[in-house]
Amino acid sequence: MTTPIPVWERYPAAPIDQDNVALYKGWLRHELTLPRCGNCGKWHAPSYPLCPFCWSFDLIPTPLSGRGTVHLSILLHQGPSAKGVSYPYPVVTVELAEQAGLRFTSTAVEGCGRLAIGTPVELAWLDRDGAPFPAFRPRDGATQ
Amino acid sequence: MTGNRIQDRIAIAGVGSTGYTRDGNRTARSLAAEAAVSAIRDAGLDRADIGGVISSAGVGSWTIVPPGATEMVAMLRLPNVTYFGDGNPVIVSPLLDAMHAIYSGTCDTVLLYHYNYRTPFSSRRAADDPFRRHIRGYDNLPPENARNAAAYAAWASRYLHENSIDREHLGRVAVNSRTNARSNPLAAMRSPLTLDEYLAARLVREPLGMLDMDLPVDGAEAFILTTSEHARDLPHTPVLVHTAAEGLVDTASDEEQLASLAHHGQDIVVRQLRARSQRSLNDVDVAYVYDGFTFITLSWFEKLGWCAPGEAGPFLDHAWHDEQQRLLVDGRVPVNPQGGMLSEGGTQGAGFVRDAVHQLRGTAGDRQIDDPRTALLAIGGFFYNSQGAVLIRDDNR
Ligand SMILES: [Zn+2]
Repeated sequence: MTTPIPVWERYPAAPIDQDNVALYKGWLRHELTLPRCGNCGKWHAPSYPLCPFCWSFDLIPTPLSGRGTVHLSILLHQGPSAKGVSYPYPVVTVELAEQAGLRFTSTAVEGCGRLAIGTPVELAWLDRDGAPFPAFRPRDGATQ
Repeated sequence: MTGNRIQDRIAIAGVGSTGYTRDGNRTARSLAAEAAVSAIRDAGLDRADIGGVISSAGVGSWTIVPPGATEMVAMLRLPNVTYFGDGNPVIVSPLLDAMHAIYSGTCDTVLLYHYNYRTPFSSRRAADDPFRRHIRGYDNLPPENARNAAAYAAWASRYLHENSIDREHLGRVAVNSRTNARSNPLAAMRSPLTLDEYLAARLVREPLGMLDMDLPVDGAEAFILTTSEHARDLPHTPVLVHTAAEGLVDTASDEEQLASLAHHGQDIVVRQLRARSQRSLNDVDVAYVYDGFTFITLSWFEKLGWCAPGEAGPFLDHAWHDEQQRLLVDGRVPVNPQGGMLSEGGTQGAGFVRDAVHQLRGTAGDRQIDDPRTALLAIGGFFYNSQGAVLIRDDNR
């Protein structure tokens, strides 16, 4: 039996710490996982050690559907060189379906251009250096 | 509600600037030291008079290379320092540090300095400079983010989506700054710019392009602050800090989580300026409205109350003076007369403070506005750098 490769070695460039490790472990299972408060029930992002709304430290990493709508949208014509990244490169901040104001930022799948604000999207999973990486794509039937 | 016991009690008595360039070959130490020495001399003071030294080179600074305050003290051999620190990069923040140190009596006179130094990440020319190879970036985020500079492009997409603003409106902010920079010998960019040239510039973080972003530059500013009483004994007409404010929205550095553009750091700043100032928009003779990104200027016009929310487009059309190719609010008030962050250089507001001091004390040379008494400074963006100040001419001297 082989020892599983630790998540920080699957994502060597990611700033993984005890507060956000569940997000990256989730990626390995093709899930978007954010901390949800055991006291007030709210999710928050990015992953903090306590619930910013009620200050409870009782946080439960909980997968989300990965669906939402585009809230902010840019198209980078230049930027830092990174594995699997070519320019122009879309970056979208998506308001997640589960909670108003809860947002997650990543890229969009190739060929989208600059996604229009309000576009319904869902998660797709890219392969980045052998590890799954989240990207948004327009939901079936969505027009840009 | 916040009091304002410090109102008009602290003066800017000296200024020094190296001016700005996009291809400098001096160290940040050299630039900062030159600005510091010229500010101390401008105030008619000497090394023994400086009791406090504050830089804007603290954590999170844009200017991530030395000299911090201790190194400045060593370079200038300042013998009587009782307060020092490295503050936040955007200028009102270290200005407040300096004011508080003086008002509390921790020291009487502060040297405050700010410098910009292009990094290999901010400038291609800087990347080719062998003397900058040792610089490490503070900002090594992956491309999939809406933080720092990308946050402004991202929120610009939202601002353009929610309001009837087009690229021409953003372009007027850029052309205004360039027109004004043409008569400022300290400015990095002094060639003329037309609206058509703005519209043809390449996009960088779409919807924003090359000419929507402030300029990475090399250069430094320094200021001498002291009590208003002390300043009245010094050579120049004192410029008083009528009020200064910072505003930090509750999503702070989580820019993508900001609830909406209806409430952010600029709103908090404006509320503070209104509560703590005896002067109104009608009193403003010269306005410095942050143009680190063009659409930030439009937002400030709305938040300051010069126009209603969402009305910055028509407001710009109305304030545009086509013959002069620049903005004149109410046909009277120039905006960013030194060329803004877009054309003088991206100085996190430091260039605004220096130019306001020159205008108010009547030392602005060819760019001097007729008899100004009040300068409004609206500095920074929406998240962790929203700031404002009202500087006034001291008429009690
Ligand atoms: Zn909670």
